[in-house]
Amino acid sequence: MNLSLHPLILLLLFPGGLFLLNIGMIYEWADRKLVARYQNRQGPRWFQPLADTIKLLAKEEIVPKGVHKGLFFALPIIALTGALTAGLYVPLFGFEPAFSFQGDLVVTLYLLSMMTLCMGLAGANTVSRFSLVGATRALTQMFSYEAPFLLALLGPAIAAGTWNIGEINNFAGQNLWMIIAQPIGFVVAVVGLMGKLELPPFDAPEAETEIVAGALTEYSGRGFALFRIGKDVELVIGLTLVVVFYLGGISNPIWFIVKSAGLLLVVAALQSMFARLKIDQTVGLWWRLGALMALLQLVAIILGRYLGALIR
Amino acid sequence: MTNSSGEKFVVPIGPQHPALKEPGQFQFTVDGEIVTGASIRLGFVHRGIEKACESRNYTQDLYLLERVCGICSHVHATAFALGVEKLAGVEAPPRAEAIRVLGGELERIHSHLLWLGVAAHEGGFDTLFMYTWRDREVVMDLLESISGSRVHYSLNVIGGVKYDITDKMADEIRRGMDFLEERTHYYMKVVTTDDTFVGRTRGVGIMTKEHAERLGAVGPTARASGVERDIRFNAPYSAYKEFPINMIMDTTGDLEARFIVRIKELFECYRLIREILDNLPESDLTVKVKRRIPAGEVISRVEAPRGELLYYIQSDGSDMPARVKARTPSLCNWATISDVAIGHKLADMPMLLVGIDPCFSCNDRLVQVNRPNQTDLNWSWDDLRRYGIEYYR
Repeated sequence: MNLSLHPLILLLLFPGGLFLLNIGMIYEWADRKLVARYQNRQGPRWFQPLADTIKLLAKEEIVPKGVHKGLFFALPIIALTGALTAGLYVPLFGFEPAFSFQGDLVVTLYLLSMMTLCMGLAGANTVSRFSLVGATRALTQMFSYEAPFLLALLGPAIAAGTWNIGEINNFAGQNLWMIIAQPIGFVVAVVGLMGKLELPPFDAPEAETEIVAGALTEYSGRGFALFRIGKDVELVIGLTLVVVFYLGGISNPIWFIVKSAGLLLVVAALQSMFARLKIDQTVGLWWRLGALMALLQLVAIILGRYLGALIR
Repeated sequence: MTNSSGEKFVVPIGPQHPALKEPGQFQFTVDGEIVTGASIRLGFVHRGIEKACESRNYTQDLYLLERVCGICSHVHATAFALGVEKLAGVEAPPRAEAIRVLGGELERIHSHLLWLGVAAHEGGFDTLFMYTWRDREVVMDLLESISGSRVHYSLNVIGGVKYDITDKMADEIRRGMDFLEERTHYYMKVVTTDDTFVGRTRGVGIMTKEHAERLGAVGPTARASGVERDIRFNAPYSAYKEFPINMIMDTTGDLEARFIVRIKELFECYRLIREILDNLPESDLTVKVKRRIPAGEVISRVEAPRGELLYYIQSDGSDMPARVKARTPSLCNWATISDVAIGHKLADMPMLLVGIDPCFSCNDRLVQVNRPNQTDLNWSWDDLRRYGIEYYR
């Protein structure tokens, strides 16, 4: 079943726009609560992310000395815009994507990378030493996870024979869950998503015990709130993408909630299981292991398709 | 990493920084991620306790000195009480000595578990942090059941201890030890086998035996490098003569060795506590000590959770000490950080810092004022006063 709504509603209210912001906060809460429970803590109450956001939005925004003012204000907005725009091409909540065209998978992935790019720029824009180190780390990390993550999502795309997320969703819904056919790709995709969102153990770019808050150290008030919301939205879209590609697609809202919440459970468990990786360990892990495994998977799929065609 | 003018890129950690639970400043000069220089500045929390001791009598000093440290409070009071008893020529009854050691070992458990949690947090392993601190509550509750207080137990008085261990308490402590021992086995497994954690500790911050001896390291930091230095073993005091301990040693000298040494010490604590509870001597809890302590001077050494704690007490025959000097273990270990840090990555710094289990407020003996263009090194009282007023304007 693929429902369709008026594009404007899709764009502004549901499942894009306002809805995406809210569900982002709900997912952030779920993530925090789950990690807290895994760590034997109580965790925040359900409205905590919303309360944080309102508080941050209401606060004075301090512009530090030595920054380019335009960039300082623009970067959080661009980051959030990138994340929200990516939402247009993803079958959120089981509805058809608001926009889709052949190749929107690549566009979505690059829109999602806007966040990291903006954070890197935001860090490099200030003169704070913590921000500079954080920015360097964020960009280094981006160059390491991006390729394996892309390769991991290409696997299902090649299997489905299309680069359109909506069509891949339909394909995944009608066939065997691709996690069974491509388990390596699933692992790489989930871990890649964690790297993208800078969740522990890949939180070296914002390691609080080393560089305070990394690239965002100098941000306060509105800018910080926008970055946070952007990250929440990215979490939802990232989870949706992995669910669409590997967990049999999303045909209706109930499946969306069940599958993405299940995936969040796994992601939260992974977050609480490991010590933080040093940035050189992260890069080593991705290029030595992640990229190689994803490539192997890809070669296997291409060979499989080729041989399958030959036999037929 | 240098900026356009060719200056060095310095990452300051402290005085306020999420990695530090107490104020201190560490400046790491970095080249990319590699640390090329380190400097330490202390003195943000100097409280003048030593001086304050001179205007209070011995009993009051006992309470004051317990507040030198919020983690190893009992051991400070023990060192002071042992020293004063030696000056007065009395010895605490055997049961009192045993209870002192019992308190000291319970405190060591709580200190080492606290350190394990903090060290895990610095390494970004918050789950281990939360777990160890949850289990630490067990030993905190035990200390509370003995003394009525979780941090400053006030077990000691000069000439003995205040609180007795009843059979019911002993059973409670035994049960607590059983639980903690089981948990500690699990932590040992995590610390030595978890790949991500081992990746942050194994081979990091290696300090050889010669190096540790040259820098004068003490406590678990020194023992992890193979230096045989444990006052409980080398110069047994109090009830450690009757209840000897085994010195825990490691030879690797890296961060992992410090974890292993401290966790193994926990097992030793559990064993010793059980032994003391099973063989608690029967006697009074206190002997009478005169208010005025005969003139003389004494050095009292005990093994705090962080290493050797030294007290020098001078008496002029009155009821107040003429001089009290405490040298805390953290002070001896600072040099190991600045020396070992060079060549490591910036990401290793927080773990290297907590590797020695630093305690800042107990080793601050002066306040350092850095003023630009400062030429006159002599400050009068008026200068200081004016500086203090202008500083907050």
